[in-house]
Amino acid sequence: MQYGENIRLALQGLVDHKFRSFLTMLGIIFGVASVITMLSIGEGAKREAIAKYQDLGVNNIIVREKSLSDEELEEVRARFSQGLSIQDAHVIQEIVPGVERIASQAEKSTEVRYDDKSVKSTIIGITPDFLGLMNYKVQQGNFISEKHYNERLKVCVLGAGVAATFFKGEDPIGKLVKIDDQWLEVIGVLASKSLFTETVGELAARDLNRDVYVPLSLFLNRFTRDNILSSEIQQITVQINNSDRLIEASRIIDEILKRHHFNNDDYSIVIPYELLKQEEKERQIYNILLGAIAAISLLVGGIGIMNIMLATVMERTREIGIRRSVGARKIDIMSQFVTESVAISITGGLIGVLIGIMLSLVVTLFTDITTFIKPYSVFIAFSFSVIVGVSFGYLPAKNAANLKPVDSIRYE
Amino acid sequence: MLIEIKELKKSYSLGESEIPVIHGIDLNIEKNEYVAIMGPSGSGKSTLMNILGCLDTASSGHYYLNNIDVSTLDDDALSLTRNREIGFIFQNFNLLPRLNAIQNVELPLIYTGIPAVERRERALKSLERVGLSDRLYHKPSELSGGQRQRVAIARALVTNPGILLADEPTGALDSKTGIEIMRLFEELHKEGNTIILITHEQEIADYAHRNIYLKDGMIHSDKLNQRIRMC
Repeated sequence: MQYGENIRLALQGLVDHKFRSFLTMLGIIFGVASVITMLSIGEGAKREAIAKYQDLGVNNIIVREKSLSDEELEEVRARFSQGLSIQDAHVIQEIVPGVERIASQAEKSTEVRYDDKSVKSTIIGITPDFLGLMNYKVQQGNFISEKHYNERLKVCVLGAGVAATFFKGEDPIGKLVKIDDQWLEVIGVLASKSLFTETVGELAARDLNRDVYVPLSLFLNRFTRDNILSSEIQQITVQINNSDRLIEASRIIDEILKRHHFNNDDYSIVIPYELLKQEEKERQIYNILLGAIAAISLLVGGIGIMNIMLATVMERTREIGIRRSVGARKIDIMSQFVTESVAISITGGLIGVLIGIMLSLVVTLFTDITTFIKPYSVFIAFSFSVIVGVSFGYLPAKNAANLKPVDSIRYE
Repeated sequence: MLIEIKELKKSYSLGESEIPVIHGIDLNIEKNEYVAIMGPSGSGKSTLMNILGCLDTASSGHYYLNNIDVSTLDDDALSLTRNREIGFIFQNFNLLPRLNAIQNVELPLIYTGIPAVERRERALKSLERVGLSDRLYHKPSELSGGQRQRVAIARALVTNPGILLADEPTGALDSKTGIEIMRLFEELHKEGNTIILITHEQEIADYAHRNIYLKDGMIHSDKLNQRIRMC
């Protein structure tokens, strides 16, 4: 029997019993739609996490000053730790193997003024390697160079948000902004960055677009600190040339700092890549759970198909008898009924794919959950629906094929 | 010899006990014979027809169709034999209600594996032969009883089978329509077809050239019809 004939018959059957077919498909529709939606939410979360950690640099180790209360700070200083210092950075660079680049940064929250406008901002004193370490991009002008650093020039680079507040339609390059009592020349503006919405270790959530960068040399020389006990710098960012050696390098860094800080626990080490891996592992468990739920709904959908197909075979005993009497073999009857259940599940699968895609879009539109539909997830969901159709159509089809022609032809 | 039956027995098992239905039949039918098999209900004529039509197999004995022992064939081979050699015509027509006339007639050819275009041509020819070329696209529900039986006959003819096997073909028809169907059989016989008619009505059997009378699962009488009734 030609296969085209089976397909034509199966589709005809679907159209002849629209409502029944639709009800039969519902399970598959929900199953496939939920698989696609869940996978898209999982993938969205994954991409968001990767983007977040990429901002921190996947080959970086971040050493950060711990935020301590005044009493704790006094205690630490009394036990001879000076907190993070440029000296620490030098030692790390010299001792730790595989250091590609290293940058120190000092921070201070203050107002930045231009004209009659002011912005509450974080002033960050950095060494020139900073730009290469982070994935930051300069949108306009230049970043702080070796020359700026060495000569302690009074220049600054603005975050996109600060620049947008100060200079509407104006060219910011060459303008003077006032930070504390210092006048600094704007030499560049950074490209806008996504909000850093989650706290990672000691890295507090904040709007990176409100940062203003100045040479660290200038910062240490010209800006007064809020607290006299404050460490020299707040962060050291170390880039390692091989991501497999991040943990090893961080252990060495920890050893060095422990010694230099006289065993005072006043710093913390964050490895964004390790956090990413850990987060991925946690998400995997979540994904397996979601997958299991989706699989159960597909299973239930399959049982629904089997149920209807069994009833259909009963109802069509006479038809089976007629087909057998004019020469249909068992395999012909079998493939006819399997094709029918596959047609139901494929149609249900297609509708499910459409609904799944729509649901993902709705989730993105109306919540702050990011979704991303990977083509392979559509493929997986769809092939599952075909597999369900074949496996749950098999038994009813076998029943149909095994009906004795002599009995089924006279079935009333 | 088209059909050769030797010591054929058939019994059904009902729980523990075996109920014999055909006690042992020997029967030969030549090509182009027109045979009526008669008998009261319970005489085993339906069972015999099922076996002749390869819908069922004998419990013992041999049934040679074109010199092939059908009792040795497996299910697929039996299906193939039904497809090639047997044209069934049933009392209740047994058409597929969702298919129109021409699709019903095409059905056996689908299982023969004939391509769609040729299928349609042959179905068309077959429907023309039974005088229904103006009802090709009507569903069975839109046809009269006589027309339905003509569609069924067209379906039986479409594979050019060796045997036309008709089970009470006029049983569901009024007498006038019944006579028309019998006239069609007569023509088909003249064209060289072998026809086996199962009936319990003597009037219908009178159209056949040979009458076999079954009683209690055995052949009670087997004689040539001396007064063949013509339509």
